[in-house]
Amino acid sequence: MARFSALLLVVVLGVSSPATQAHLLKVFAFAEGNRIDGTTYFVGGIPAAGAGVEVMSEDGRLLTTLVPNSAGEFSYEAKSQTDHVIVANTGDGHVARWTVPASELTGRHTDSADQDALNMLSPVTASAATEPSNGELAILVEQSVARQIRPLREQLIAYEDRIRLRDIIGGVGYILGLFGLAIWWRQRHRSDS
Amino acid sequence: MAHIPDGVLATPILIGGAVVSVIAVSIAVRRLQPEQIPQAAVMASAFFVASLISVPVGVSSVHLILNGLMGLVLGWAAVPAILVALLLQTIFFGYGGVLVLGVNAMNIALPAILCAMLFRGPLQRAGQRGSFVIGALSGALAVAMTGLLVCTALALSGNAFVPAAKVLFATFVPLALVEAMVTGATISFLKRVSPELLFVRESAHGTL
Repeated sequence: MARFSALLLVVVLGVSSPATQAHLLKVFAFAEGNRIDGTTYFVGGIPAAGAGVEVMSEDGRLLTTLVPNSAGEFSYEAKSQTDHVIVANTGDGHVARWTVPASELTGRHTDSADQDALNMLSPVTASAATEPSNGELAILVEQSVARQIRPLREQLIAYEDRIRLRDIIGGVGYILGLFGLAIWWRQRHRSDS
Repeated sequence: MAHIPDGVLATPILIGGAVVSVIAVSIAVRRLQPEQIPQAAVMASAFFVASLISVPVGVSSVHLILNGLMGLVLGWAAVPAILVALLLQTIFFGYGGVLVLGVNAMNIALPAILCAMLFRGPLQRAGQRGSFVIGALSGALAVAMTGLLVCTALALSGNAFVPAAKVLFATFVPLALVEAMVTGATISFLKRVSPELLFVRESAHGTL
């Protein structure tokens, strides 16, 4: 028993090192303008490049099937301003879901036109060019804010993903407690009979 | 892989898996010897923790399942150990799901019981090298069976069987090899240094 416990301790210390990977497929995607950019990966940071990614409308209609690149990234141009459900599937029972809410989509294409619009805002040309309308300005602000906070959101997700030592110790503690309870139960039954 | 998440399988499969698991647990609890409980706890902890070390293989990622080892060491007691560890993996790590717990437990526990039935007898009589071979066979067979059960569960729920089987085959063959090595080494080690860990009470396991 002591040997077993020693082995277990080694394993626990081993897995608590940052190099360990967990075994859970995840997918997330954020919208910038009307383009949905996302990443699919196994928790711990390994990209799930071989996974299939399905983009579905909110009523479950399949819009398209994407193949992520080697970094697990994919991109989709939304055609309608509705909720989009992204489903990543490796085909062997690993499935992950993410919903891009309609409110994240601005209903405008993020292409070179945006860059032009941004250039128009630069101080040099702003006076000469026509001022963007309030609506356009709102969209531009929304897009650049989305771009700015994206790394922050990614960091938050990565932070949430991490399996911490206390989870591991907690789980092992629960197991020992439950089986201890079983022993106590058995002992009580024995002394009764 | 072995941890199918919620929302993938069809309802009849979920119910079927839950029923099989409940039956298996009730049989196991009736056969459980008090002396086995601490062992079951240690094996459940090992199973719980082993899932954290996963290695990317092909499009997927795999980790040790250890159900062959659990079956050989624990016999029927492997069933509650697996169920408890799976439940805690769901709660703490988000692997699998609560609704599919029955199916996942069945996929992992049935091969463990089969290994116990097939190999515990020969293991008791085996020598040093023999016990390594038995352990290795048991480790590989248990993983292969789990893979087959996962494929079947996915196929019965309307997923295409062939692509799932291809992915699983590609990931399970290397896993089966590693699992065979680990189980073989552990079993022959246990057999050499403390055979009493493997056969707590001979009469209790003779009935398998």
